[in-house]
Amino acid sequence: MSSTDKNSPATDLSTTPNTATDADSSANAPVDNNSTTHFGYKTIEKDDKISMVAGVFHSVAKQYDVMNDLMSFGIHRLWKRFTIDASGVRPGNKVLDLAGGTGDLTAKFSQLVGREGKVVLADINSSMLNVGRDKLRDKGLVQNIEYVQANAEYLPFEENTFDIVTIAFGLRNVTDKDKALRSIYSVLKPGGRLLVLEFSKPENELLNKAYDFYSFNILPKMGELVAKDGESYQYLAESIRMHPDQETLKGMMENAGFEQTSYKNLTGGVVALHKGYKF
Amino acid sequence: MQDFTNQALTSLSTQFSTQLGKRLLLPQVATATLELIINKALALNNNKSVSFAAVAQKTLTLELAELPFTLCFTVNTSASKTLVIVRSRTEFSDCTINTSFNTLNKLKAKKSLTQLIKQDELDVTGDIKIAQQFANIAQSLEIDWQTELAKHLGDVPTHKLLQFGNNITKSLIGKGKQLEADIGEYLVHEKRLVVTNSQINAFNQKTKAVASKVDSLSARIDKLVANIANK
Repeated sequence: MSSTDKNSPATDLSTTPNTATDADSSANAPVDNNSTTHFGYKTIEKDDKISMVAGVFHSVAKQYDVMNDLMSFGIHRLWKRFTIDASGVRPGNKVLDLAGGTGDLTAKFSQLVGREGKVVLADINSSMLNVGRDKLRDKGLVQNIEYVQANAEYLPFEENTFDIVTIAFGLRNVTDKDKALRSIYSVLKPGGRLLVLEFSKPENELLNKAYDFYSFNILPKMGELVAKDGESYQYLAESIRMHPDQETLKGMMENAGFEQTSYKNLTGGVVALHKGYKF
Repeated sequence: MQDFTNQALTSLSTQFSTQLGKRLLLPQVATATLELIINKALALNNNKSVSFAAVAQKTLTLELAELPFTLCFTVNTSASKTLVIVRSRTEFSDCTINTSFNTLNKLKAKKSLTQLIKQDELDVTGDIKIAQQFANIAQSLEIDWQTELAKHLGDVPTHKLLQFGNNITKSLIGKGKQLEADIGEYLVHEKRLVVTNSQINAFNQKTKAVASKVDSLSARIDKLVANIANK
């Protein structure tokens, strides 16, 4: 799915730069003026963020799963399982796996919604989408999955389409998070729920320090060794620190219209699962 | 008071272990492991007549007394092979069973589901047919572990390993039976000979009574001896 129209809901990474204004209400984020945003710790022009994030993910797509296992010691699989458990998914549901990357959540959702249900794997990055599609096809998961290249800020779906929307480790890369949350709210059916799985702020100060040391000293070296790309993993560590903390993200979801919002810290707050409903 | 304290401590420790388990994502570790084992077993099943059509996309939930989380099994047949997905919770289940590991073992020992329900060992909510179909499938799986193991280890090591396993099993069964017999012996004969608390108390009281009688007798003798000496 691609478009050269900047106002079109779907965007093609290669042809359409994002022109959205950044209204990120993160407490941790630097104060943005109208034309700049953050890319890790760097302040950049908003128009450049999509292509810079795209560069990161084009670079790491093929090694993404291996690196995830290495970096998290395999715990990312348990975080994703927790998300599936919290989703309340049932046969026949329509699920949008936003920023779905290599399709870990899509695979499980596809098996749980069955033939009558549908899962849409959406990602702004074509490389990630290709890797995800190949992986899911290799697993024999073809019947109820659709692939859409889309920007979370301009979702190319009709209002009230999905029972569940998930975005796992993707929201922090979105230029305008508030706009993305509003867009997600729009495509959810009344009664539907959003699940945001994302890195967050550890609850314990000691854990926070150990996590900082690991993120800035070990992680980029691991990236250099395995994915031959230390810079991308330096960005990963920085982008995690710039992402809104638990309470801020909860507030952002409420501002977008979500109700009964809550979050659950996983692994001491290294990751948090936020949940909100549209009524 | 002590009962209340014990109850409070038990409740606290249960809550602590549940919270710790959740923090360590133990339900997810358990379901992931179980899912892997079940799907591996399904892949090795030799009984090709087993049909999953009746339970396709159905969810069976097990609430086991010993576990702080539920086990939800959903069967998926839409991919090229049948898969069972295991979750630690769900908001929708076709059938929910409340039971314990012990009762599950009885079910494994071919006791019928209805028999266990009548004995109040199982509590079923939802469509009982789903539970029966799941139980039937589990019982009809045929896995030739020896052949599967031989593919990876070779014939001779597999034979030796199984022989060793059988010997261990026989030995454990023998030890178990011996232990059972010893416990039976103890309960029937030895326990009768063991002195009970009330017997010890009665003995203590009698001993004290004798001691006090001896003391008074001794005092009386001393008095008599003193009287004789004065005369």
